[in-house]
Amino acid sequence: MQNEKPSHLKELVETREFELNMGPQHPATHGVYRAILTLDGERIQKLNSVVGYLHRGIEKWAEYRTWQQATPIFDRLDYLSAVINCHGYVGAVEKLLQVEIPKKAEYMRVICDELQRIASHLLWFGTHALDIGAMSVLFYGVREREAIIDLFEAHFGQRLLYNAYPIGGVRLDFPKGWIQACRKFLNTFNSRIDEYEALLTENRIWKQRTIGVGVISKEDAIAYGLSGPTLRGSGVYFDVRKSIPYSAYPDFDFEIPLGKNGDVYDRYLCRIREMRQSVRIINQALDGMPEGELKGKVPKIIRSPQGEVYFTVEGSKGQLGFYIVSDGKDKPFRVHIKSPSFINLQGLDVMSKNQLIADMVAIIGSIDIVLGEVDR
Amino acid sequence: MNSQILINYIAFPLIKIAILLAAVFTVVAYIVLVERRLLGFFQSRLGPNRVGPLGLIQPVADGLKLFLKEDLIPTNANPFIFKIAPIFSFFPPFVGFAVLTFALPLIMPSGKMHQFAVADVDLGILLILSLSSLGIFGIILAGWSSGSKYPLFGSLRSASQMLAYEIPLTLSVISVIMMAGSFRLSDIVTAQQTYKFYFIIPGIVAFFVYLISVVAETNRTPFDLPEGESEIIGFHTEYSGMRFAFFFMAEYANVVLICMLTPALFLGGYDIPFLNDLELYKTHPYLVNVLGFLSYAAKSTLFAYFYIWIRATFPRYRYDQLLKVGWSVLFPISLLNLFLVALIKLFLMK
Repeated sequence: MQNEKPSHLKELVETREFELNMGPQHPATHGVYRAILTLDGERIQKLNSVVGYLHRGIEKWAEYRTWQQATPIFDRLDYLSAVINCHGYVGAVEKLLQVEIPKKAEYMRVICDELQRIASHLLWFGTHALDIGAMSVLFYGVREREAIIDLFEAHFGQRLLYNAYPIGGVRLDFPKGWIQACRKFLNTFNSRIDEYEALLTENRIWKQRTIGVGVISKEDAIAYGLSGPTLRGSGVYFDVRKSIPYSAYPDFDFEIPLGKNGDVYDRYLCRIREMRQSVRIINQALDGMPEGELKGKVPKIIRSPQGEVYFTVEGSKGQLGFYIVSDGKDKPFRVHIKSPSFINLQGLDVMSKNQLIADMVAIIGSIDIVLGEVDR
Repeated sequence: MNSQILINYIAFPLIKIAILLAAVFTVVAYIVLVERRLLGFFQSRLGPNRVGPLGLIQPVADGLKLFLKEDLIPTNANPFIFKIAPIFSFFPPFVGFAVLTFALPLIMPSGKMHQFAVADVDLGILLILSLSSLGIFGIILAGWSSGSKYPLFGSLRSASQMLAYEIPLTLSVISVIMMAGSFRLSDIVTAQQTYKFYFIIPGIVAFFVYLISVVAETNRTPFDLPEGESEIIGFHTEYSGMRFAFFFMAEYANVVLICMLTPALFLGGYDIPFLNDLELYKTHPYLVNVLGFLSYAAKSTLFAYFYIWIRATFPRYRYDQLLKVGWSVLFPISLLNLFLVALIKLFLMK
């Protein structure tokens, strides 16, 4: 596509590269992300990411809270999948304390995690489509997400940031009628995904806008440390739920959808199929829900043993890791978060090389960043 | 004698213009509301329904709000061009309404015939086409003079987009002109009435090419590239208050104009379907006037609905893709179709 200018024009017309500051206030950067673009016409030559506009010092903040008190702040990382963030931190502390989690609690956690994954993907789906210009899809995605949020509200009492799990298990059993409501949602949801796909998946404009755009090869994707659907879109089989199993995931039968070419369209398909797989997991978990305790044996005041621990979960954006160092006190000594959005964002430079500005908007959407997680 | 000239050439046209402008402004204001409410229904929400019953006073509130906004001119802008650009965008669509004919001529009690148009000129369709190209200058000037990078992209895109759709658009209109044998809009409708079929039948290909190019012409999704709100925010990023409102109204006036032009070209305009208008006109002229006007309004509304529906459904094209579609698909198709229509005209439409 990139045409060399005819030689007679070179002498007559002076051309130079053009710098464009995109963000931090820009509708398509999904928050306060700023990219400094070096452009040749509308073609991106270089992309310089500037992050940190939403830095709140979450890691430092955690050092001043007791183990339990620190839980709710991690909801504010990726505020669209607060449940999974909470699972990550709580899981890391449990690994440090070597607490046995009751089976029932693990099943309930899986159900909530997967619902949260669907909710997060639904919002991604809407905003990604909106970036490419299909405005109605946003509202359909939000409509289904609303149903999930209602379920969460019934269970956790909150609608966005839930402080979902205490260390050692879950707080309360599902309220009465919740499981039926959840099943009702799941039964309609698959057909709803079919409807959304009817709008986009085979849409010629959508395909033209996404196929072959923002390609990142298998090797590059691994080298940049990408994870989640962004990595799987390039055809790399890596999902924490399968590769480093945690919680009750080994009990369930599900597939990891993979892409082929690593373009925006493949990442789109990956996420759509992932939602269907999540429905499968939740259905199995609801069917096989064991009876039993809700919480393992955890002291009221936690004094952890000295040591360090690393625990990862499959967040909705990718591999979310918590590295915790404890010096034996009632507070963590250091919490480091491996946030998938931040690392996936590094791939943006490779993906958007020689693409148009319009493509870059599509690519940002396909990486699915949440700035709360990028900046922490 | 002098007073006769005053009435016929000044007072009467002025009254017509006043009525037309009032009607057009109302329609433009309300098509915004209709679009927002319809989009609401498409998107499983309500749309603006708070200001007045069914949200009917919403356009007034919107206008008032924009009117009260501060008028900002960026320091980097070229103030003169920055100020005239909205006018360039604003006036062409409104002038375009002047050549539209809304019904068969009104027969006055004195026996004189009066056209239902401000100026039923013999180059009507050409006037609309050239005016619409003129409107693009407003966009280009606005983006260029803003002294800001995003609007500049908007105007660059607009310029390249114009190249992509203007030619297929004109070619598809030419096929209609060939069939009718006139540039005058009332003649085009009358031709469809006398042939007793609408030009959409022989010109079905032209019709679809026209539909696509016209979406690009009015800068709406999937071809809203100069605006591209999620990418470059738009050529009017730096505009505020009434200057912005001019661009906004111009866009919707263009939509209304196109929605009224399309039926005239392809669907028989004010022709009443399933009735022999010209026969009935001889006996019941006023009835035909009223019914014709209503049928024209209904057809236009249908297209307005169609455009809003398109906006609710499709993603946006990329601007190089639009160029590709325009030059390598629409252009050859419309050229071929022109040839085909010429043959039809030569052998089948005597």
